[in-house]
Amino acid sequence: MKKEKIFTALFFSFVLLVLLLGIRGIVGNPTAETINNIVWTDDGPLELSPDRGRFSLLYSIAENLSLKFSLPIARFATPDLGITPNGEYVSLFAPGVSFIVLPGYVVGKLFGVSQVGAFAVIALFALFNAGLVRAIAMRLGASSYAASFGALAFLFASPAFAYAVTLYQHHISTFLILSSIYVLLRWHGWWSIAYVWFALALALSVDYPNIVLMVPIGLWALSRIVWFEKDTRGLRFKISFLNILTVVSVILPLAFFLWYNTVANGNPLQLSGTLKRVEAIDEFGKPAQSQLAQTLGLAVSNPNRKKSAINFFHSRNLLNGFYTHFISPDRGVINFAPIMLLGFFGLAYVFKKNVTVGKVLAGIIGFNILLYSMWGDPYGGWAFGSRYLIPSYAILGIGIAKLLEYSKKRYIVLAICMTLVSQSIWIGVLGAVTSNRNPPQIEILALEKISGREEKYSYDRNEQYLASNHAKSFIFNTIGYRYISATGYRTLIASLVIAMCALLLGGLLLDTQKEKRHE
Amino acid sequence: MNKYSPTEFTISIDTTKRFVAFCERNAIYVLSIVLSCISVVAFTAYYFNGFGLAYNDARSHLDIGRRVVEGLKPGLAQLGSVWLPLTHILMIPTIWNDFMWHTGLAGALQSMIAYVATGLLIYLFLRELGASMFARLVGVAIFASNTNILYLQSTAMTELLLLATMTAGAYQLLLWFKSNDMVYLIKSSFWIMLSTLVRYDGWFLFGFAAILIFSYTLYRKGYAPAEGTVVLYATLAGFGIALWFLWNALIFKDPLYFIFGPYSAYSQQNQLEAAGVLATKGDWFLSLKFYVYALAYNSGAFTMFLGLAGAFVMWFNRRENIRVRVASVVLIAPFLFNVIALYLGHSVLFIQGLSGDTWFNIRYGVMMMPSLAIFIGYLVDRVRLVRGLVVGLLIFVMFFSITSSDTVTIDDARVGSSQKNVTEVSSWLTDHAKNEKGFILISAASHDAIIFSSGLPMKKFIHEGTGAYWTSATRSPDRWARWIIMRTYSEDDSTWRLVSKSPGFERYNLVGMYPFADIYELKPEFMADLQTEPVLGKQK
Repeated sequence: MKKEKIFTALFFSFVLLVLLLGIRGIVGNPTAETINNIVWTDDGPLELSPDRGRFSLLYSIAENLSLKFSLPIARFATPDLGITPNGEYVSLFAPGVSFIVLPGYVVGKLFGVSQVGAFAVIALFALFNAGLVRAIAMRLGASSYAASFGALAFLFASPAFAYAVTLYQHHISTFLILSSIYVLLRWHGWWSIAYVWFALALALSVDYPNIVLMVPIGLWALSRIVWFEKDTRGLRFKISFLNILTVVSVILPLAFFLWYNTVANGNPLQLSGTLKRVEAIDEFGKPAQSQLAQTLGLAVSNPNRKKSAINFFHSRNLLNGFYTHFISPDRGVINFAPIMLLGFFGLAYVFKKNVTVGKVLAGIIGFNILLYSMWGDPYGGWAFGSRYLIPSYAILGIGIAKLLEYSKKRYIVLAICMTLVSQSIWIGVLGAVTSNRNPPQIEILALEKISGREEKYSYDRNEQYLASNHAKSFIFNTIGYRYISATGYRTLIASLVIAMCALLLGGLLLDTQKEKRHE
Repeated sequence: MNKYSPTEFTISIDTTKRFVAFCERNAIYVLSIVLSCISVVAFTAYYFNGFGLAYNDARSHLDIGRRVVEGLKPGLAQLGSVWLPLTHILMIPTIWNDFMWHTGLAGALQSMIAYVATGLLIYLFLRELGASMFARLVGVAIFASNTNILYLQSTAMTELLLLATMTAGAYQLLLWFKSNDMVYLIKSSFWIMLSTLVRYDGWFLFGFAAILIFSYTLYRKGYAPAEGTVVLYATLAGFGIALWFLWNALIFKDPLYFIFGPYSAYSQQNQLEAAGVLATKGDWFLSLKFYVYALAYNSGAFTMFLGLAGAFVMWFNRRENIRVRVASVVLIAPFLFNVIALYLGHSVLFIQGLSGDTWFNIRYGVMMMPSLAIFIGYLVDRVRLVRGLVVGLLIFVMFFSITSSDTVTIDDARVGSSQKNVTEVSSWLTDHAKNEKGFILISAASHDAIIFSSGLPMKKFIHEGTGAYWTSATRSPDRWARWIIMRTYSEDDSTWRLVSKSPGFERYNLVGMYPFADIYELKPEFMADLQTEPVLGKQK
């Protein structure tokens, strides 16, 4: 037991170390005067509009005590900036992330690294997620070696790493999903159900589509309030009225959500994502069209057009969405994280152990893939790999752990796992230490028109960036660059993680040998 | 029982058994009513939002049916050779009524009945496969809730009738494979024969089923029974094809007129090939890719992949009766036909993104819908462990398909090459010719949509099918036609080709120029010599 605790502590320490090595940022606190400087934006830690949009709200809350953006902050948030019917600039993103990382920002600011502080909160959630993947896999019968391997595969052998070191919603969403699963798996009391409703309501403030991803978990929790049993007497429906009361746990997060919508967007039911989008701001402070949109020949969007949360999703996009998420060179899992594909096989073993959990996990992956395949922008804008699938990567990490556990005597499977995980880590670490600024393939021609040079769109773009001795890691940019090149830095981190995976597989093999000897 | 025990409600075994028995007994009736209601609601919705007759072909189908009963030369010969005749024959009992003609109901009615019938056939097919009630209903729901199917059942198009006849043929074939009772084979032949009179997809099914029947009987019983069985099958199933050859020989003096005639698909494809847009011809990969896209856009990519999974589960399930597995192969006939037709250049598909920014014939992708519904129903039945999950995900996609009005066939009809917005020219005719005497000379092959949309009676038009009127009017238009509708300078427009060279053409004023056709009107000083009554009497 003590050995197990030490192993767990070592595991968490290792994950924390790698995350720290990856966290992006530079020294300094951005201000309204400097925030639009390229050192903070394209070349810096807040390189894309999703992280800028969330940082804008964070900055406004912390520095201006306002949910509305001042003009410099609004410019910073473009092209994902919202505008209210009153003409005020506000965030186009769900507000949860900006509020959750606020303590990190405040602490970071005290040390002169406000953005790093904010990113560190996301990294903390990533650490929790790795722990939860491990814990769930172990609950489902995986050994601590296999479970740890699955957790590392999730975090470092997929685009999840690149989004654990900057300001995105994915790891908080994943945390709410995984923690709900863990709580329901481990405890059966009323409070575990209450936690799920709380997490569900909070997830809405973090990212609106979370509500869909959490449907299977919600149904699982619901099955502890209303369920039926079949026996010789017939069908018996059972309702636990006490458990119905757990629904009150949604009040707090929901009240926050409605309050934010009222104050920022002018209507409790007006979601930020459904506000009119401002792509750029002209010199008079008025909405304008972005350069890329002009080059692509896109019409100026009708300012009076009504946006609806549902209309973002079209079933006709499914085929392209599937291609984008799985096969495409610019985002596909096959290219960015091939190890994840093994996780699908591993899920079959989850069904063997626990059918309900198997259904819930498969359901989350199903909703995740379908939802973001139906979305008009399955690429996730400029991104590293398929970032929308991060919750699925976590679940596939559990699958990988189960696959290893069941295949621990099949050396060929272990060899395939090791090969694929090494390749995936090599790419995953590359994304984390460099940049997420990879355009989707469909924008390349327009982009080349603007830049006048050949533009890459897969992870070769990151290789290019790294080869020019650039990295966005905070530690590299403050200390590391004195001792090591950017390429060397990536090699160091990737080697560490690959070595740890190899050790875990070694541990698994040793355990298997011991079992054989006992038999 | 402590104070935290849950409250219980029990439904006894007897009650559940009675309920299941009730469902088994009455499902067909309930389904018929539900599907009929959905069908009527869909027709009404599409009619009132103006999409009901968006397809140019829908208007042409209605006009063909109408010309059989009304016009300057009514009769069965008006069925023509461009399209197979069953759809138009079925319109005859109702198309004489102006309401039925102009609402499109005369054509849609058979599609609506076919929609209900196909839904029921999917239910029966799955029941024969031993699927549970739930799985059967899922199969029916997949088909019945598909927005492309709902749209096509609301129009005067041929697809739904084809689906119904083909599915009926496949269902009876399944029964024959299972029981070896010849009655089922004869019934199957009958339905396949009907399908051969709807679209040429039916001809492929005829051949494909023949190969299946022959191979299976040969394997089981030897050559002589195989030969006999196929002859029995082909005699009835091929009867429609034989009649069609005969019809073409009698009416057009060439049994292959429907293949090589000036308005045939072959002729159309030759033009497209000359224009360099028949990309799939001779390219298996591209043919497969285009049809898979059409399939995915019509059925939904998720449905398509689930259907594929269902097919594999069915074919590779060793516990499943080999006869059922062989019989179910017939369900992929539409897929094979479409890919082969694309490869051979007999069919053309334009898919937005693959062939520029347009659509054409994308609706061919619905041909696999009953098959996909059956495969998915089977899958849902066999993978009991994740049944709820599969159905939940299907409902999820279906929800967005409906809320985002994702109906690719409407796009095909409205913005693709299949559309023809002739409102301006047909409105001109309605305004200027409705209450005036005189005929309108027009090529029905080129401008059937204008004839339909004008709302004028068919006997007002002189077109290719009016015999002596057409011959006389194209030679001396000024004696017969007060108005001429044609595409100026277009040699593809037979009216222009014939009339522009006649001396009488100089007696017309160009009174309107529109995107699809121009309007010429006889100068007032020549009106005195104009024939405005149908004086040629009954023609042969």
